[in-house]
Amino acid sequence: MSESTSRAIMAQRIGRILSRNGALIRLSLQACAHCALCAESCFKFQESGGDPAYTPSYKAINSIGKIYRKNGRLSESEYRAVSELVWDRCALCMRCYCPVGISIPSLIACARNVCRERGVFRTYDGTRNA
Amino acid sequence: MIEATRKPLQEIFAMIRTYREARRPQDFLRVLTVGCGGCTSVCMAGGQREVLALSEELTMMARSEKVPVLFSCTTIERQCNPQFLEDIEDLAQDCDCLLSCACGAGVQHLGDRYPSKPIFPALDTMFLGVDIDTGLYEERCRACKKCVLGITGGICPLTRCSKGVLNGPCGGTRPDGTCEVGGGLRCAWNAIYERLRDQGRADDLLEIRPPMDWQEKGQGVLIQRGFEGRYAAEDTKADRG
Repeated sequence: MSESTSRAIMAQRIGRILSRNGALIRLSLQACAHCALCAESCFKFQESGGDPAYTPSYKAINSIGKIYRKNGRLSESEYRAVSELVWDRCALCMRCYCPVGISIPSLIACARNVCRERGVFRTYDGTRNA
Repeated sequence: MIEATRKPLQEIFAMIRTYREARRPQDFLRVLTVGCGGCTSVCMAGGQREVLALSEELTMMARSEKVPVLFSCTTIERQCNPQFLEDIEDLAQDCDCLLSCACGAGVQHLGDRYPSKPIFPALDTMFLGVDIDTGLYEERCRACKKCVLGITGGICPLTRCSKGVLNGPCGGTRPDGTCEVGGGLRCAWNAIYERLRDQGRADDLLEIRPPMDWQEKGQGVLIQRGFEGRYAAEDTKADRG
């Protein structure tokens, strides 16, 4: 399979994920009041000593929010930054609480799915990805 | 964490081939390999990278053996969580059978979600263990539902004693503290004694523990403390329905 074909398939699969979850992403991004109340429910946020970059809403907005706004067309380095957000700064323990009812874990999981399709994912043996 | 390892490629391929030959000999079979981003990803048996590699190897094997099978793959966050299973709704509808790279629980959960699709496990679930090093894991827990670690110095006799005795040692401990079973295995009860002795709690071992009640080891259902009301109410609704 040529590189251009595999890129096209990758873009198609990313597009499919974004379109399937489009309504959820749009609604969530619009509904987020940036109140940061979700921060207190994140053990990673607590453990970081209150680093705002660990706030669940920050992680969602700067991962799937960014991917969605750019329709998946992020650069390699941008995808790596997203991957750091959704894997290194989130354990997907699903304990984050949003008073508005936004399902932050669903957004993070969606970002992870897109990253996997893009070939950027965690491998657990010290390497970043295949 | 649940540790698993991939089945031999031939075994996985044989399951798919047998199904195709027996049930769909005329079809170009479409198999969806589903990875899991949870435990089997961390122990490097069923994550995205492993799923891509498995899919490729199976494709090559199908080509070399001239078996018309198309393998595609995807990975979801956790196959043991219904929320994440929704992510592959469309892919699952487009395939003839599923090949799961999750632990036994994940395989069954995925199978329950798509009961019309035959499901095959690509992994052997090994145990509940700890990560000693990259790619090296050791069993630590049998999930016996009656944890005794508080009285055994934090060392599980059911898992780490070859005989799983609860009031050890059995008499088969060698002078160097290893087990008579061999293989350099450390006697769990010797280790328990040494740890309790160092903590000044060796006397605790004099108390005789009752045997494990193995009769109540059917399928477990856990309702976490504080959630009893919620699920009792749902049962009542289901009974009424």
